[in-house]
Amino acid sequence: MTARKIAKKHIADLLNEWRQGFNVFVPSRDEGVAKWARWDGGDAEFLEWYRNTVVPPKALFFPPLEEMFSFHKDGDGYRVEQPPPAEERWLIFGIRPCDARALAVLDLNFKEGYEDLYYLKRRENGVLVGLGCTRPYESCFCTSLGIGPTDAADVDLMLTDIGAYFLVEAVTDRGEELLGKTSLVHAATGADEARAEEARKAAGARVTRKIDSQGISEKLRASFEDKGFWERVSAKCISCGICTFLCPTCYCFDISDELVKRHGARFRSWDSCAFSLYTKMPMENPRREKWRRLRQKVCHKYEFYPDSFDVIACTGCGRCIRLCPVNWDITWVLSSLPVQKQVGLET
Amino acid sequence: MALSDVSHRPRFLREGNVYLPHPAVIEKIFSETADTKTFHFNFRDEKLREEFTFQSGQFCLLSVLGVGEAPFCISSSPTRRDHLECSVKEVGRLTRTLHRLRVGAEIGFRGPYGNAFPLDFLRGKNLVFVGGGIGLAPLRSLIWNVIDNREEYGRIDIIYGARTPADLCFSYDLEAWQQDKTVNMVTTVDKGDEAWKGQVGLVPVVLEEVAPSPDNSVAIVCGPPIMIRFTFPALEKLGFTPGQMLTTLEKRMKCGIGKCGRCNIGNIYVCRDGPVFSYAEIANFASSEY
Repeated sequence: MTARKIAKKHIADLLNEWRQGFNVFVPSRDEGVAKWARWDGGDAEFLEWYRNTVVPPKALFFPPLEEMFSFHKDGDGYRVEQPPPAEERWLIFGIRPCDARALAVLDLNFKEGYEDLYYLKRRENGVLVGLGCTRPYESCFCTSLGIGPTDAADVDLMLTDIGAYFLVEAVTDRGEELLGKTSLVHAATGADEARAEEARKAAGARVTRKIDSQGISEKLRASFEDKGFWERVSAKCISCGICTFLCPTCYCFDISDELVKRHGARFRSWDSCAFSLYTKMPMENPRREKWRRLRQKVCHKYEFYPDSFDVIACTGCGRCIRLCPVNWDITWVLSSLPVQKQVGLET
Repeated sequence: MALSDVSHRPRFLREGNVYLPHPAVIEKIFSETADTKTFHFNFRDEKLREEFTFQSGQFCLLSVLGVGEAPFCISSSPTRRDHLECSVKEVGRLTRTLHRLRVGAEIGFRGPYGNAFPLDFLRGKNLVFVGGGIGLAPLRSLIWNVIDNREEYGRIDIIYGARTPADLCFSYDLEAWQQDKTVNMVTTVDKGDEAWKGQVGLVPVVLEEVAPSPDNSVAIVCGPPIMIRFTFPALEKLGFTPGQMLTTLEKRMKCGIGKCGRCNIGNIYVCRDGPVFSYAEIANFASSEY
């Protein structure tokens, strides 16, 4: 498939064309925090400031709060109503490779065994247009997890910044379809492709933070019972849960009911292993202590999830580092595991 | 055999929206103790009533819409298909609401979830049931299951205890098993009263006195964590190996189907891979948080 390109000044026009067939979402900071918002025309001003959103795109597929169904109490019984199936097609413009990979990671949990239709329906109807990352944050470490800041692996269409233009590559058939009707996209030249390749290399080199993810599950397994270590690395954690809420691969949720007179609904909402209520039972709580909860968070991502699905549930997006109110740092925890040296080279 | 291999288990009610509870109606309510009630219920949907199956050891999520949902083991036996039973101890908001419901009230049911007691493994063996308090509920499902196919199993010992005679659950079952000549039923309380004619003593201690032989035997243990913690060593003293001891674990759950995250022990999800585990499996968990 030959590469194509689009002028940056035409992005707004392209989004407007796509808006005819999709609900288009773009990065926005209208409400003060960078998150995803519906494109309503205007300038593509986000191209100026966008590095990554604070709220990850998982929120579009797995909302912080969603109604699962509603009910009306009717004598001794209930009349249950499900929300209509999400049929609308939508397009996420500008997703970063780390966050696109995160969705692929989430798919595994929501598909395994019983299918979670709330999430999967939205995934099915969503098209991802990736935007290569040229200005990664200091806290980013995606390259340590096998993801490049300009990787196209998990999106339908990929854009790479080559100056006044974006190089455009259709990754999937759905991506190709997006280009089918537009006249804003032109054939790219060999020089464009060379420029894109340079941009990719340069972007990768800008990710300077590293972890050694080789054999990390084994190291964690060997460090599991080291209570002193976990107490030390969780000492400053205030259990606020922000690292899990804003993590693009965290999916833990709560289910709760609301009832007003005879009408009510069942909701699901994001939950967090950082909270002691999360595992609290009437008589006991397996993770009452903070160090146990933080250990769960780290091990879930780097040991338990790989055990189940063969993939680390972290994409190195760095949000948990740069958004933590007390500067907790997962890369520091991973690189100071007590058994680092003994097992590090054997795996 | 890996007890938690659930890949081939039947999955009912798994099509469509798996989070949608199925309406069921309470048909009968028994007060077991001051804080525990057993609910007999049936699906509203006739087709479901006929087609629904489960296995001893599996659990379900019961809803009172508007209040919430929580996991309970199905305490009736799959060999007795007339209705389903769950025994509920009042410990929080949902269980308090359940306790206030009357016959005819509608509840929501999701399930059956989880693995089950491995009947293929148990068949032909001597079974030692060790239960405490409300922990008899999942055992009871299996006990009736086994009694209803009595010739397929060897000796049956049941050692069941509670704090006081008033805390014994399923007194009607205890009586039936007492009278069943093919079952050795031993009931004990931590503290008796004047009318009490059974044993007095903690379950693990009484277990050691009864001293069932470990030969071709499997012990199935369920009760409060403290009882389980002392019962495993008692069984080991009697010669049972970790592979000959089964239990069911309990964790806080929301989804019941391995998605919401909280009931994990390492990479094991109690709702998806359990709740039935052998002591050998538990000892192998990547986490000691069981």
